[in-house]
Amino acid sequence: MKIDLLQMVENGGCSAKIPPRQLEEILKYLPLPEDPNILVDIDTHDDAGVYKVNDELALVLTTDFFPPVCSDPYEFGQIAAANSISDVYAMGGTPVVALNILMFPAARLPMEAYAEILKGGSDMASEAGLRIIGGHTIDDFPPKYGLAVVGYIHPEKIITNAGARPGDSLILTKPIGTGTILAGQRLNMADRKDIDEALRLMKLLNKSGAEVMKKYDIKGATDVTGFGLAGHILKMARASKVSVRINMKKVPLIGNAYKLIDEGCIPGAAFRNLEYAETDTLFAPDLDYNLKMLAYDAQTSGGLIISASHDLEKKIIAELKDAGLEDSSVIGYVTEPAGKLVHLDN
Amino acid sequence: MFFFVFLRSLIFKIMRIIDTQGQQCPAPIIATKRALKESAAGDSFEVLADNKTALDNISRFLKDNKTAYSVMENSGVWTITVTKGNKDVILTNAEVYCTPEIPHFSKGDFIIVFNSDKMGEGDEELGRLLISNFIKAIKDLDKLPNKIIFYNNGVKLGSIDSPVYENLKELGSMGVGMLFCATCTKYYSLEEKIKIGTLGNMFEIAQVMASAGNIIKP
Repeated sequence: MKIDLLQMVENGGCSAKIPPRQLEEILKYLPLPEDPNILVDIDTHDDAGVYKVNDELALVLTTDFFPPVCSDPYEFGQIAAANSISDVYAMGGTPVVALNILMFPAARLPMEAYAEILKGGSDMASEAGLRIIGGHTIDDFPPKYGLAVVGYIHPEKIITNAGARPGDSLILTKPIGTGTILAGQRLNMADRKDIDEALRLMKLLNKSGAEVMKKYDIKGATDVTGFGLAGHILKMARASKVSVRINMKKVPLIGNAYKLIDEGCIPGAAFRNLEYAETDTLFAPDLDYNLKMLAYDAQTSGGLIISASHDLEKKIIAELKDAGLEDSSVIGYVTEPAGKLVHLDN
Repeated sequence: MFFFVFLRSLIFKIMRIIDTQGQQCPAPIIATKRALKESAAGDSFEVLADNKTALDNISRFLKDNKTAYSVMENSGVWTITVTKGNKDVILTNAEVYCTPEIPHFSKGDFIIVFNSDKMGEGDEELGRLLISNFIKAIKDLDKLPNKIIFYNNGVKLGSIDSPVYENLKELGSMGVGMLFCATCTKYYSLEEKIKIGTLGNMFEIAQVMASAGNIIKP
């Protein structure tokens, strides 16, 4: 029997996130623990928490798990793991150890699928130099998989959402459109070529991008996941107390993602993200509607958004391309606070 | 009952129906967008949806694309009546760009009923002038009406050759729903000339009137 995980879910990957507005409402009621060693917490809506151990070492902690984004269990394991590890890279850390988190419908899927998911996760972890030292599984439908990851970081070299400075250029390291293409796949509208490209990108670790960031002493970055490109940039602008202008025409897209959106294949998550972001965003009056919706397309294991000094942008882009991130592009720039937090231009 | 069936068939004859019941997002949007592409400016069609997410996303999609629509719910099924507008409503000048928000039009708890194409008793010419001025003033009210109903001679106001057609269309684009008595448009042979709002039977008209806080009859 050919296992097809995709038939089990309506919203795969990071599209399955709780709507961002709802999440913020809930987080308001959680007291933030006070401890001078907590260097980064959810206050700035960062990708991971950071806890200082001593002056030389801090721990980066993050977890992420979601329902299938593809049909093949092994590939799903790889993508879920790459996505979980990404938060450590986005903060400038080095992943060290991890635990598996798996929800698996034992009565509805053969056990080989269970093994394949974990094998995919394990292989991706090896590629990242990460050791999986345990985990937990419960019986649940549909399946969900991810990792809880611990990484190392120097306490003074943390890259956060709050580190974007006016005058910086914003560099994106992977094209966007995974949410749209996965939705198109479910409706048999997406090209095989584009699906394969989306899968390749989701399996691509943000490791090489993170190495370039560390080399150039970058202070501000995040990775693009469930809230979409413009959603994550908004979080960055808010935490950094700056405004950001994004030029949507410069944002690289996966294959025919634009055409899919133009045919109306707009995933529900894009509407949720737009609703969350729109009060803090100024849309150019001539902004192409399809590009606007792509800006909010939920990404699974998306690329890094790097805020880098304008003088360095050419060098950084060249190095990212050399490292295999051939679609890396400058997609906008950071300004002093100017009206809305995010300006979406054509 | 026969009357009702007759009216429904009349409505259905001029309205194309896109049934998205049972479909998950984004399939309903794909179907809506396809129908919009196939329609000419001024054409209307109905989209049926059976889940709130589909309704919300379709509404949002139409709003963002500046397409007029109205929604009716009937035992868990939403009927979204969509009217294709002219697509050249994109603003490009700098001032508009600097005014961040698209103005939000709030609606009051009242409806307006036009049962005539004239206002008040007296000279007919004056009556027509008055009603035109009244309609032009609606958009400047503090709150817009929840809905506007047209019956008997009132339906003539919505005809494409009416002097206030453009004004009513503008109200439609501001989100004011317009309901035209189907029997009346047929009686006056205006079926081809009513390109705004939706057609409805007496039950729908009675329903809207019964649930309105206030009814204004100019």
